[in-house]
Amino acid sequence: MNLMTLQRYKNELILLLALLFMLGAFFYKLSANTYVSENKSFIQKQIFEIMRIEKYKKQWASKGMANKVKVFKSIVPASKVKLYKKKSSKIKLAYVDLSANELNKISNKLLNTPIQIVSLNIKESANNKFTMECSCKW
Amino acid sequence: MVILNLTAKSNNKLLIHRDMKPITLLENSIDIILTPQFYTFIREELELNFSYQAKQIAGSLFDDYLDPNIEYQYHVYKCNNLWCFFAYNIDEIDTFLESIGIEKHRVSKIYFAQQLDTILEEPLLLNEKNILQTVDDVVTIIPKQLMDPNLEYKSLDTSMLSLKGGVTMGSSLNSFISLKETIILSTLFCLLGGVFIVEGGRIKSSIAKEDAQLSQLLDENPRYTSSISRQSILEKYEPINKHERAKRDAIKKISKLLSNQSQLKLLHIEKNKITATISTKNQNINKQVKEHARSKKFKVSGSSLDVKVEKTL
Repeated sequence: MNLMTLQRYKNELILLLALLFMLGAFFYKLSANTYVSENKSFIQKQIFEIMRIEKYKKQWASKGMANKVKVFKSIVPASKVKLYKKKSSKIKLAYVDLSANELNKISNKLLNTPIQIVSLNIKESANNKFTMECSCKW
Repeated sequence: MVILNLTAKSNNKLLIHRDMKPITLLENSIDIILTPQFYTFIREELELNFSYQAKQIAGSLFDDYLDPNIEYQYHVYKCNNLWCFFAYNIDEIDTFLESIGIEKHRVSKIYFAQQLDTILEEPLLLNEKNILQTVDDVVTIIPKQLMDPNLEYKSLDTSMLSLKGGVTMGSSLNSFISLKETIILSTLFCLLGGVFIVEGGRIKSSIAKEDAQLSQLLDENPRYTSSISRQSILEKYEPINKHERAKRDAIKKISKLLSNQSQLKLLHIEKNKITATISTKNQNINKQVKEHARSKKFKVSGSSLDVKVEKTL
């Protein structure tokens, strides 16, 4: 294509370039749209998963739990604590001769502490007296 | 026929006139100088500052001189204190060039013989019939027979001459699309393009916040980068979360079954099963406890005044 032909069709060329620019911009917008629709849900899923992991870890694998469970030793008079055995991240508890109030107190504390209750046994040993055995871990 | 050789950087210049001999073996681009046979010339004194203004009124200046049925192109430049207007028909020139063997793509620029007015003060012999000479500052074709038969014609040496301005062959031909339409449509396309780019940028930036949050979370916890690792951790904690919540929920529901008339005898949690035995004072209470337990999705059993409730978590 020589210079004369370019001159001859310069209007068409300018228009073609402008059209190509517009089409390029349009495809850029389409690709941005596709990129966002493909990645937004994926990114949000990743964020949701990480935040859930953080939440679970904070709740069920709290690092300060070893100290928090010490309360189960002193929550009722020591004479009623038959067993308090803490080893690593596990604890075994046994109480005897608990009144209804004491049982409620221990139960509420247990339920509100984020530890895994492996087993729980509550028995009425006498009229309004209870024994409680519990095994937990975190 | 006169071929003018200019500097090595310039194209050869060819004076174009009727009755010239065909050109053969033209290999390089050339510039052509049109004789008045191919253009109409007017010189006017006008109060204009710019040539585009002059070009806008060129058509009306030639109204009385040109055939209205033919489309003309115009060229304007300032000559001394006057404006020099040229009207020419590019199709006519094109046809003529083809007839003498000059392909139009070989023509680089078109000049007008008027631009040689000072040089042509002395007559130039075009052919046996015509000469070219400046008369009253206008380059004119004059029949040779009107000249003195003894007059000696000098050859035209333009080796030191440089012609300015000129018209490109291509720009003389009309485009399919007018300049006005080109400007309007190009502006529209560029505006639309701009809008698309801005819109695209806005769309992309819409996930920038989430992207930044994810990057921050991954920087703080690099081991969560792998989806397998994340799934593995979630698979470990989700059952714990589900079962522990279910255990606590079940205990709370059992506690709501207790009252002065219904007391807990036994509560047992083992793995994913919770069992409780509740002793009631009378049949009415027993029935109420059983109904409440059933409504709370417990499996209910038991004889006499004891109610055994159980649920798989």
